[in-house]
Amino acid sequence: MSRIALLAALIYLIILAGVGTLNGAMVALALPLVLYLLAGLWRGPEELHLSAERTISAERVAPGEPVVVHLTVTNHGEALEQVLLHDPLPAFLSVVEGASSRLVDLPARSSISWSYTLLGKRGSHYFEQIQVLAEDRLGLMVKRADLPTRGQLLVLPSISRVRHIAIQPRQTRVYSGVIPAHQGGTGIEFFGLREYQAGDSPHHINWRVSARQDDIIYSNEYEQERVADVGIVLDGRRRVNEFSGRRSIFEDSVLASVAVASSLLAEGNRVGLFIYGKRNKWTSPGYGKYQRERIMQALALAETGEIQNFSSLIIPRRLFPPNSQIILISPLSGGDVSLLSQLRVRGYQLLVISPDPVSFESRGLGDSPSVKLAARIARLQREVLLRELRHTGIQVVNWDVSRPFEQAVRSALSRPTAFLHAIQRGHGAGKR
Amino acid sequence: MTRNLVYVSIIACAASLCYGFAAKDLVPVSVTVAMFGIAWIFLFMRSLHRFSSLAFGIFIIISLASLWADVSPVFAFTGVIFSLLAWDLTRLFQRLRTTNSPQDARKAERAHFVRLALVIGLSLVGYFVVPRIHVTLTFGAAALLALLGIWGISALVYRLRSHE
Repeated sequence: MSRIALLAALIYLIILAGVGTLNGAMVALALPLVLYLLAGLWRGPEELHLSAERTISAERVAPGEPVVVHLTVTNHGEALEQVLLHDPLPAFLSVVEGASSRLVDLPARSSISWSYTLLGKRGSHYFEQIQVLAEDRLGLMVKRADLPTRGQLLVLPSISRVRHIAIQPRQTRVYSGVIPAHQGGTGIEFFGLREYQAGDSPHHINWRVSARQDDIIYSNEYEQERVADVGIVLDGRRRVNEFSGRRSIFEDSVLASVAVASSLLAEGNRVGLFIYGKRNKWTSPGYGKYQRERIMQALALAETGEIQNFSSLIIPRRLFPPNSQIILISPLSGGDVSLLSQLRVRGYQLLVISPDPVSFESRGLGDSPSVKLAARIARLQREVLLRELRHTGIQVVNWDVSRPFEQAVRSALSRPTAFLHAIQRGHGAGKR
Repeated sequence: MTRNLVYVSIIACAASLCYGFAAKDLVPVSVTVAMFGIAWIFLFMRSLHRFSSLAFGIFIIISLASLWADVSPVFAFTGVIFSLLAWDLTRLFQRLRTTNSPQDARKAERAHFVRLALVIGLSLVGYFVVPRIHVTLTFGAAALLALLGIWGISALVYRLRSHE
């Protein structure tokens, strides 16, 4: 019920009761309410003729970097007694200085300007409008309007640098890079031997092996290093990312995605990103700094969603042919093994970077014996899950998010894993 | 300041009506009114401001009933004035919380108090002038006047609502 309607109803009631009982004192009780109603009519807002302008000190910032927003609202019409000017902000932005909402008087044909400073976590926001609520002093007559403004603020995710991520896709592209291509040619790592051919550098002749043969001279062959297609899949399922007390491990997953994408792009690879969360979104594969910017923008908008499992995860073959490298960044859940195994069967080389949800959640639950026991059981279950993945030939990086990401990746990926060593040894023996 | 004035208004409203009923030996009614006052304060403390309209309506009806029960009109009028103040200030308190500029809030608060003081002052003047006017009306004339008053109020409300 609106305030005016309530006042009117009470005035009617008082008057009718006063007339019904022929009691003048009772009718007199309506006087304050009638005067209150008349005061609302006096100098209430008429038509709103307002416009707004906005300037923002920066459009792309890192988390925690201050941004100054300057606003000017101009009243082209009659005087307004009490106007609430509210600049709506999303949850990831917080005002640290000044005010995003003002309650002011706006005289006729006048302007008001003010600034406020924002700090933001990761995210993107379009400043599309300023909400206006004009009313009389007593709040009886209310007029609302939205003033359109322009402006965008992109708070990019934090950057964590990783020097090198040792991936081993089965198939590489033709351009030279740093990923072993399992083919002999020019490179650094010894790959095998072949008969000397005219034009080979004398430095490449393997004199020790050639000395054992009568008429044949052998040259060393090195493993070619090329760039590869890499698809990064960021798991944004709320079920696996968010825990009690509104704590989320998703920010760590985003940080890992930034680090992995930056490292792989810096090495010349063709990298694409799929965010499997609130909005399933592919950033098509590409090279270089432009692609890095696209990926950063996509990650700035990444949010967790209600999707329960990976059933709708489809890797488009057009973008990522079989044998290319897929990097899944996910805390993982028990039901994910089958899908990841299917991807392996389809020929993708899989690397799973898994922020450890067990240690993350147990840290926030205290140190009681029951928590310790529960954490131990959950850790065992997770260990079984990771072992199962490793048995299907998937590289797994189990990342305790209390440690720096680079440290976790360096210890797990800076050298090829044991089974990849074995594959390489197998290739080498075959050549010989 | 607005918050404290809301408490003071509710207490003053409930206390005046309580005293009025108690003076007429209607102690159970007086206790009930006090309970309503406490409930209103509790709802305000719990930030359940949407109930302030209900509480305002209840206290206006109690004020009317007090006249019917022969309580002094001064207590009934005080009840109406302070319940109106409590209801209005609850809304002002909500409005001031929507801005994060303390200077703006102080300025708006001052301007609001001035307007409110004007309304209350005129009401008091009107209330003390009315008993001095003695007009003898038949029931028909009184009913006609009441209808006229209702029509006037309706026109005013229509005008106010058409601006929303």
